Amino acid sequence: MTKERLQRLGWWLARYGALLLALVGLAELLAHFYFSNRAPRQSEYSGLAAAVDGMRSAGELVVVAPAWAEPMVRKALGDERMPLSDVARPDEEGYAAAVEVSILGQEAGELSGWQEQQRTRVGRFRLRRVTNPSPHPVKLDFVSALSPQTQVFMSYAPGRRCRWWPKAAVRAGGLGGHPTFPPQRFVCPGSAFLNVGVTVIADQDFRPRRCLWAHPPARGSLVIRYPKVDLGRSIVGHGGMYWIVERTRKGAPVELVIDVDGQRVGRAIHADGDGWSKFSFPLGEHAGKQGATVSFSISSPDYRHRHFCFEARTR
Amino acid sequence: MSSPRTRQLRRWMDSWLSPQPEGWRDPMLGLLLAAFYVVLLLGTVADLGYARDEGFYFDAARSYQRWFELLWSDSGQALKNVDKYWRVNHEHPALIKSLFALSHLFLFKKYKLFAMEGTSFRFAAMVLSGLGVGLIYVWGAQARGRLVGLVAALSLAAMPRFFFHAHLACFDAPVVTMWTLCAYCYWRAMQQGGTMWPLLVGLSFGLALNTKHNSWFLPIVCTAHALSLLFFGVAKGLSRKLVFKRAFAALASMAIIGPLLFYATWPWIWHHTIDRLQSYATFHLRHVYYNMEFLGQNYFEPPMPRSYAFVMTAATVPVITLLCFFLGLGLCAWRGWNVLRARGATEQKGPRRTVDPGTVILWVLALAVQYAAWLKSTTPIFGGTKHWMTAYPFLALIAGIGVAAAARRSRLLLARSKLRPLARSRALEPALLGCVLIAPVVQAAHVHPWGLSSYNVLVGGAPGGANLGLNRGFWGYTTGSVAAYLNDNAPRRAKVYIHDTAGPAWDMLRREGRLRRDIRGVWSVAGADFALYHHEKHMSGQEYQAWVAFGSAVPDEIAGLDGVPVIWVYRRPGLRKPP
Repeated sequence: MTKERLQRLGWWLARYGALLLALVGLAELLAHFYFSNRAPRQSEYSGLAAAVDGMRSAGELVVVAPAWAEPMVRKALGDERMPLSDVARPDEEGYAAAVEVSILGQEAGELSGWQEQQRTRVGRFRLRRVTNPSPHPVKLDFVSALSPQTQVFMSYAPGRRCRWWPKAAVRAGGLGGHPTFPPQRFVCPGSAFLNVGVTVIADQDFRPRRCLWAHPPARGSLVIRYPKVDLGRSIVGHGGMYWIVERTRKGAPVELVIDVDGQRVGRAIHADGDGWSKFSFPLGEHAGKQGATVSFSISSPDYRHRHFCFEARTR
Repeated sequence: MSSPRTRQLRRWMDSWLSPQPEGWRDPMLGLLLAAFYVVLLLGTVADLGYARDEGFYFDAARSYQRWFELLWSDSGQALKNVDKYWRVNHEHPALIKSLFALSHLFLFKKYKLFAMEGTSFRFAAMVLSGLGVGLIYVWGAQARGRLVGLVAALSLAAMPRFFFHAHLACFDAPVVTMWTLCAYCYWRAMQQGGTMWPLLVGLSFGLALNTKHNSWFLPIVCTAHALSLLFFGVAKGLSRKLVFKRAFAALASMAIIGPLLFYATWPWIWHHTIDRLQSYATFHLRHVYYNMEFLGQNYFEPPMPRSYAFVMTAATVPVITLLCFFLGLGLCAWRGWNVLRARGATEQKGPRRTVDPGTVILWVLALAVQYAAWLKSTTPIFGGTKHWMTAYPFLALIAGIGVAAAARRSRLLLARSKLRPLARSRALEPALLGCVLIAPVVQAAHVHPWGLSSYNVLVGGAPGGANLGLNRGFWGYTTGSVAAYLNDNAPRRAKVYIHDTAGPAWDMLRREGRLRRDIRGVWSVAGADFALYHHEKHMSGQEYQAWVAFGSAVPDEIAGLDGVPVIWVYRRPGLRKPP
C-alpha cells in the first residue's frame, strides 16, 4: 500500500472511526442473532421421519450433511431407518440409493456423483433422494454373517475351536481403551483380546467402521472360517485399527490371507498409518461357486497392540 | 474565554478521554466493577458442570486444606508432613489451589456461606477474575482515560471464553489477573520509581510464579520493554539514566523477591528444591501432546499449526473487540512512527502530550511475546484459547485506545459540522461504549454455559465452527447440562459411563445434589445403563463403544449450543423408567 493510500485510510478512519465502530458493533449483534438461530433445533427434527419414509425404500442409506448434525437425525429417525450397519458402513458402494438430509445448505461429499431423483424441503431441512450410478450389490456380508456356524480357531491348534458365546459379558476399553467386545462373540483361550465379534472402530478420520475384531495371536494365525458360502465374483473389504493405536506408526504389520476351499485368493498387509484401507480380490475359478468354504487368517510378526478389525463382502 | 457550558463539557471529555493517574475514584470504580463481575459469576455458576481439571484441583485443595488445619492445630506436625499433603497435583504450583482450600475451609465448612460446595472452591478464582477486570479498568483509566479503562475491562469481561474460564476452579483466569497485576506494578514502578512499586513488582511476580507457568514470560516482557525504552529513548519525561535505574530496581525485585515468595508459598518445593523445580519445569516444557481438533484435523503431535492461536483468537473474540483492537493498534503504530521520527513528539501540545508511548510499548510487547510462543510448531495447542488468555487484557486495552481515539475524533468533527449540538452532548462516549459492548455482552450471556463451544460471527457462530471442524469443547464439563435428564430418567442406582468427566468432578455434582446421589459413575460402558459422550473428534471411539455395548446408534438425549450437539447420552435399550 502506498504512503498516500495509507494516509487516506488513516484520514477516513479518523473521520468515520466512531461511526464504523458503532455500525460494526450493531451489525455483529444482528449477525449473532442470525447465526445463533440458523441451525434447526432438536424439536424440528421430529418431523423428519415421515418425510424420509416418503422418499426412502427399505435398505436404502440415510446420509446427513453436515456430519455433525447426524446424532440428531439418528435420534429422530431411530435404528430402523439408520441401523448401526449403515451408520458405521465400510463405504457406500453397495447401496443403490440414498436419502440425504441436509441443513445449512451443506452436501454430503460421499454422495457426490450420485444422481438426484427427488428433492423436497421439510422446514429447514433439504431432503434429496439420490441413486448410485454404479452400485455393487452384495451377495454376502461376512460381518453380518458371523454366527455360531462360523468356525474360529488358532492355526496352531485347529482342533481347539474358540467358543461362541451368545451372552458374554460386554467388555469396553473406556477412555483411550479398546473398542467394545459385544455380547455375541467367539471367545478364544489366552487373552480377552483374542476374540472375534462385530464391533465398531474409529478410522483415520474418526469415522465409525463396523468390522470383525480379529486380534492376531502371539504365534500362528487367527482363522475365521465360513462354511457354505455362495460366492460372487470377488471378495472386497477393508482392514484397519482403532486410529489411536496405529497413528504412531510403531506397530508390526498385520497380514490378512483369504482362502477359498483351501486355495489362497488374496493377501492384504495392513501397515500402521494405512488407516481404513481397501482390498479387493477377484475370485477367478471360484467366482459364482455355491457352498464354498471361505477362510480369513490373521497374523502378525509382533501381536502386541494389534487391534486389527476387518470387513469383507462377496459380490 | 470559554462559557461555563463549554468548560463543563471539556471537563466531561477530560474525565472520559484523558489519563486519570491520581485519585481514589478510579480504584473505587475498579473495585465496583470487580464486585459486579463476581456477583455475575456467582449468579451464573449453577448452570455449569465441573471441568475435568477442576476435579483434580478439588482433590488437591482438600489435601492442602487438611494441611492448613493441621498447621493451625499442630504446626510442628504440619511442618514435618509437608510432602504428604502437598504431593497431590504437584505438577502445578500451589497458590490458587491454596486459595480454593481456604475458601472451602472458611466459606463452606466453617461459615456455610455457600450452598454448593463446588462454588466455594470456585469462589477464589471468581474473585481473582473480578479483580482482574477491575485492575484492567484502573490501568486503562490511569494510563489513557476512563473510556479506555471501561472498554478494556468490559470487553475482557464479555469475551465468551474468558467469561467461561472465570467461573472455574482452575488457574487460567487467575493467571490473567496475576500476570496483569505484575505488569501493572512494573508499569507503576517505571512511572513513579520509589520503593513501593518495585517491591510490589517482586511480590506480584512471586504470586504469578506460584499461579501458573505463563508467568515465565513476564521477565522477558519487562526486560524487552526496559531495553526498548533505553534504546529508543521514548519514555515520557525520563532520562535514560532514570529509566535504567527504575528498570533495574523493578527487574532486580522480580529476580530476588519473586523466586523467594514463590518458594515460601509452595511447600512442595521446600524439600528437594532443585529436583522438584526441575521436574515442574520439565513437566511443562515437555508437556504431553493431548489431542485438539483444528479445521477438521486432529492434532496430537508436532508439527502443530502455527496459525492456531491467531485463527482461534479471530474465531472466538467478539468481532467488534477485534476491530477496536486493530484500530487502536494502527493508531499506536502511526503515533509510534511519528514519535520515532521526531523524538520530541511527546513534548507537542494537545491531548497527545499526556500520552506516554512507553505504556503502549509495554502493552504491545505483553501481547506479542505471549502470542509468539504459538509461532513455534512444537507448542501444544490442546487447551485452546486459554493458553494465551493472559494476552487478552492487553488486546482489550489496545482496543480501548481505538475506541477512545474514535470518540475524541468524532467530537472534533461534529463540532465543526452542522451536527454541532451533538458535539456538546454527553451521550457520545456512553453511546459508543454501548455500541462496542452490546454484541459481546449478548454473546457471552447467550452461549453460557457452553463457553468452549462458542464461536463469533466471523465463522458463523457455533454451527459455523462445527462446519469448519473447530473443537466443540473439552474437559467433560457439559455433564452438568444433562444432569436433569439423568435425574429424571435413571432408575435407582443406575450406572452411568461418565466418559471425559473426572471422577471428583462427577462426585461434586452428586455431593451438591445436582445429580441424584444414588446414580453411580462408572469408567466403562460395559455394564452401564447410560453412556455419556462429550464430543471431541478424537473421542469418537467412545461413542462407538456405546453403540456396540447397547446395540444402537440412537442417542436418548442431546444437549448443545444453537443446534450443535456437544454432549449426548445413550441409554441401554429395555432399561425401565424410574417410577
